[in-house]
Amino acid sequence: MLLVGAGVLFFLSPLVLGRYMVFILNLFAVYALVSIGLNLVMGYTGQISAGHAGFLAIGAYFTAIVGTKMGWMPALLILPLAGLFTGLIGFLLGIPILRLKGFYIAMATLAFGVVVGEIILQWSGLTHGDDGFHVPRAALAGFVFNSDKRLFYLVQPITLGMVLVARNIVRRRVGRAFIAIRQSEIASQTMGIHLAKYKTSAFAVSAFYTGIAGGLFAFVITHISPDSFNLGVSIDFIAMIVIGGMGSILGSIIGAVILTGLQQLLTGLPEVQMLIFGVALILFMIFMPRGISGMLFDLREKLGKSGNGEGKGKEVNGTFPDGMKRG
Amino acid sequence: MSANIKIVLIILSIALITLSGGGPARAEVGVTDKSILTGCSNSFSGPLAFTGMELVKYGIEIYFNEINERGGVNGRKLIHKSYDDGYDPTKAVANTKRLVEEDKVFSILSPQGTSPIFATVDYLEQQKVPLIFPFQGSPLSGKLIFTTFTTYPRETEIVVHWFVKTKGWKKIGMIYQDDKYGLTYRETAVETLKGMGMELAAQESVKRGAIDMSAQMAKLGQADLDVLMVILVPGPGAMAIKESKKLGWTKTKLVSAGPLTDEKFIILSGGEGEGVWGFSLWPDPVHSKKPAMVEYRKNLEKYAPGHVPNRYSLFGYFYGRLFAEGVKRAGKDLTRDQLIKALEGIKNWENGIISPVTFSPTDHEAQKDGFMVEVRENVFKPISGWISLEGGKLAERPLGE
Amino acid sequence: MLLQVILSGMATGCIYSLMALGLALIYKSTEHVNFAQGDMSMISGFIAFTFFQLLRFPLVPSLLIALLFSVGLGLLMERLLVRPAITAPHFNIFIITLGASIVMQSLAGLLWSYDQFPFPTLFPNRTISMGTVRVNTVNLGIMGVTALLMLFLYLFFKYTKVGTAMRAVSQSQNAALLMGINVKRSFALTWAISGLISGTAALLIAPVIFLSTRMGLVVINGFAAAILGGWGSIPGAVFGGIGLGILENVAPYYFPSQIRNIIPFAVLVIVLVIKPTGMMGEERRKRV
Repeated sequence: MLLVGAGVLFFLSPLVLGRYMVFILNLFAVYALVSIGLNLVMGYTGQISAGHAGFLAIGAYFTAIVGTKMGWMPALLILPLAGLFTGLIGFLLGIPILRLKGFYIAMATLAFGVVVGEIILQWSGLTHGDDGFHVPRAALAGFVFNSDKRLFYLVQPITLGMVLVARNIVRRRVGRAFIAIRQSEIASQTMGIHLAKYKTSAFAVSAFYTGIAGGLFAFVITHISPDSFNLGVSIDFIAMIVIGGMGSILGSIIGAVILTGLQQLLTGLPEVQMLIFGVALILFMIFMPRGISGMLFDLREKLGKSGNGEGKGKEVNGTFPDGMKRG
Repeated sequence: MSANIKIVLIILSIALITLSGGGPARAEVGVTDKSILTGCSNSFSGPLAFTGMELVKYGIEIYFNEINERGGVNGRKLIHKSYDDGYDPTKAVANTKRLVEEDKVFSILSPQGTSPIFATVDYLEQQKVPLIFPFQGSPLSGKLIFTTFTTYPRETEIVVHWFVKTKGWKKIGMIYQDDKYGLTYRETAVETLKGMGMELAAQESVKRGAIDMSAQMAKLGQADLDVLMVILVPGPGAMAIKESKKLGWTKTKLVSAGPLTDEKFIILSGGEGEGVWGFSLWPDPVHSKKPAMVEYRKNLEKYAPGHVPNRYSLFGYFYGRLFAEGVKRAGKDLTRDQLIKALEGIKNWENGIISPVTFSPTDHEAQKDGFMVEVRENVFKPISGWISLEGGKLAERPLGE
Repeated sequence: MLLQVILSGMATGCIYSLMALGLALIYKSTEHVNFAQGDMSMISGFIAFTFFQLLRFPLVPSLLIALLFSVGLGLLMERLLVRPAITAPHFNIFIITLGASIVMQSLAGLLWSYDQFPFPTLFPNRTISMGTVRVNTVNLGIMGVTALLMLFLYLFFKYTKVGTAMRAVSQSQNAALLMGINVKRSFALTWAISGLISGTAALLIAPVIFLSTRMGLVVINGFAAAILGGWGSIPGAVFGGIGLGILENVAPYYFPSQIRNIIPFAVLVIVLVIKPTGMMGEERRKRV
C-alpha cells in the first residue's frame, strides 16, 4: 500500500515542486532509461559499451528531425519510432561486435559513439551541425507539452511503463539467458543458448531504450547539439550502472538518480565535483563492486527477508564474458 | 521489493528537499535593498575551464569586489553566483534553470560557450530573464540580450575588406576549427568574397582537439597564399605557426582571428610567432598603459595578488563594469525592464578599454570593431587603428593608446 | 608532398605509440587495461614543470626528478588501486583506472590550473631538409626514443628472466605462483616500468602538444593505436601508432572535411571486425 501511496505522491509532485525540480525529475527519468538500456548490454550480457551517448544522440536527433519535418505526428508515435530506429542501429552494431571480446567491444562502441557524433556534426544539412537543433515541442492530440511540468506527465508514465517492461524481460527466460551469457559464453552455449541471437537482441533492446530516452531527452532539453553527446556523457552512463549496480533494473535507476543528483548538488563546487566523481568510481569499484543495489540486496539478505525468487535484485559481478582470472 | 522502493524514495525525497532550497522573498527578482544577484552557468571543468575561471573568478568577481568596496551601485552590492557546466549544454540548461528558479537571479551575466548558451536562450526568453554579455561570438540577439565582443561574422567582414581593399591581397586562405566558431568564419568569408567577385583560394578544417595539422598546412602551402586566416584556439593555433615555420613559408602572412589573438597563443608558439598578424579585440592586458587598463591590473593585483593579467579576466572585469554602469543608470527603482532601458540609453560610453560603447533599442552589440596587430618580440603591437565597417566601407579610428 | 605528410604522420604516430607502449606493457603482463596511462604522463609533466618553472631548478634535473616521480606514481597506483582489486574481474580495474584518470585531471586542475603551458624540449628545435621533405629535430627525437623503447621492451620480455616471469604471470597467475614467481612483485614492476614509460612520454610529447590537464586525452589515440597494431603486442603498439598517425594525416590529404575525421575510427572498426587481434596480435585461447 505504501507503494501506491508513494506513487500517487510522486505523480502529484509537480503541483508543489518548482519547475527546476520537475526538470531534474524528468532528467532522472531519462537517464534511468538510458541506464537500464546500458545495463541490459553491460550488466546482463557483459558487453561493455563506451558509446551509448551515440544511441542517445540518434534517438534525440531522430525525434527532433521527424518532429520538425512531420509536425503533425503526435509525440506518442515519434518516440516509439525513434526507439525502433535506434534499436535497428543497435542491432546492426551488435552483429559485427559478436566476434569481439571484452575490451575490444569497449573500443568498438567507443568508436561508434565518436562516429555518431562526427556524423551529426558534419551532416549539418540534416542536423544543423554545431549550430544545434531547436526541438519542436512534444504534442499529443492538440495538447502541447510546453513546460517542464507538462513534460513530467509525458516523461514519467513512459518511463514507468518501460521500467516495468524491462523488469519483465529480465525475469523471463530472455533475462536469464542474458545473465548466463555474461557468466560464461562457452557454458551458456553448451546449454543451448543461441549466443548470437541473444547478444544482438541485447544490443537492439538496449538501443531501443536509449533511443526513446533520447527522444524524451530532446523534448526535455529543447535544444540539442553534438556537445551533449560526447565521450564524457558515455562515461557518465557507465558510472551510473557501476554506482547503482550492474545487472539490476533497480540499480540502474538508483545509479541514474544518484549520479545526476550528486552532479546537481555539487555544481556550485566545480573544483571538487569531478574529483569526488573520480574518487567515488574508485571506491565503489574497490569496496562495492556490485553497486548500491548489490549492497541493498546484501542488506536484505542479512535482515532475513526471504528473497522471493525474482530476477530483480539478483546481482552478479560485472565481468568480461571471456572467462575471468581469479587469483 | 517494497523495502528497496522505500529506500529509493527516501533518497529521492532527501535529494528533492536539499535541492529545493529557495531564497528570501525579493522585490524585483534578484534585487533587494542591499543587493543584486546575478548568475551564470560557465565552464570550470572541461576544455574551457581556464577561460571560465578567468572570466568569473578573476574578472567579474574582481570588479564586483572593487565596486562593492566603494559601496556598491546605488547602495546595492553586486553578487555573482556561478555553476559549472563543463561545456555540456545539458548541464548548462539545468544550471540556468536553477539560477532562474531556485536562486532567483536578477539577470544572467556572462555565461560561456556557444553550445551551452544557445541551449538556454529560448528558456531565458520565455522566462523574461536578461542574458547580459555572454562570452561567445556567434550572432545572438533578443530584446533582453546584450552581446559583447565583435561577432565572428562581423569580424570576418572587416578583416576580409581590410585584406582586399587596404592590403590589396588576392589569394586568401583559411584554416579553421571544425565547429560553429570556425565554420562561421568560413561561411562569412566565402560570402564576403563572393560579394567582391572573389573566392577563398584554399581552406582546410581542423578537428577540435587535433594535435597534428601538418597535412592541412601542407595543402595550404601549395596554394601560394597571400594570407592565411587562422581560426583556431591557442593550442592548435600555435601548432599551425610552428608548422608554417617548419615548412619554410615566407610569403604567406598568418592572421589570427579575434579569439585567437591572445597572449597564450604567443607563449605556446615559443618565439616562433614573430611577425604573425592578428585581429585584436582588446588592448594588451599586460603592457597597455591606458589608465583604465592600469586600473584593471591594479584591482586584479589587489584581489588576486600574483595573478597574471590576461584577456579573459579583462573581459570579465570590463563587462562587470559595463553591467554596473547599466545598473547605475537604471536607478534606485531597479527592475529588469529598467536595466534594459538603461543599457539601451548608453551612448558613446568612454571606457578607456575598447571603443566607446553605444547601445540602442535596435543595437545591443557592445563592440563592432577591432584593430590589427603584429607580434614583435612576443608582444602584440598595433599596426592599425580601430577598424570597422560603416555602410559597407572600411573606417578607421585612432587607437588612443 | 605526400612524403612530407607521411613523415609528419609518423612523428605524430610515435606520440600515440608511446601511449600504446605503456598500455601494451600493462596488458601484456597483467591483462589489465590502464585508462589512466595518459594522465600519468600529464602529472609527470606537471611535476617537471613545477621544478623547472615554479621552483626555477635547472632543466635536466627537473626532468630526471619527473622520471623518478613517474616510476613512483606507477608503483603507487599499483599498490593503491590495483592490489585491492587484484582478484576482481578486469572490468573493475578498468573502471578504477578510469576513476583515477578523472581524479588526476581534477587534482592537476586544482594544483596547476587548467591553463596550457609550453614545455621545453631537450632536442634543439631545428628543421632539417632532406630532399623535398622537411623534418623537425624534435619529431626525430620522439621517433628515435620510441624505437629505442620498443627495442628495449621487446628484448626485455623475450630474453630476460624477469621479463619471462612477467609473461608467465599474465598467462596464469596460479601457474606462475606454483613456479615460484612472486606475482605481487611482478605486478609492481610492470606498473613501475609503465610509469617510467609514461614519464618519458610526457617529456617527449609535452613540447609538441603543450602541457595541460587535457594532455592525457591522447591516450584514446593510444588505445586505437594499440588495437590496430595488435592489443598486447609491444611492436604492435609502435607500428599501430605509426600507422594511425599516417592514416590520420593522409586522410585529410585525400578526403574532404566531411568524412576525414571518421576515417581513423572507421578503419579501427574494420580492423576489429576482420582481425580483432590487430596486425601483430596473437590469438589467445580460452580455458573454460
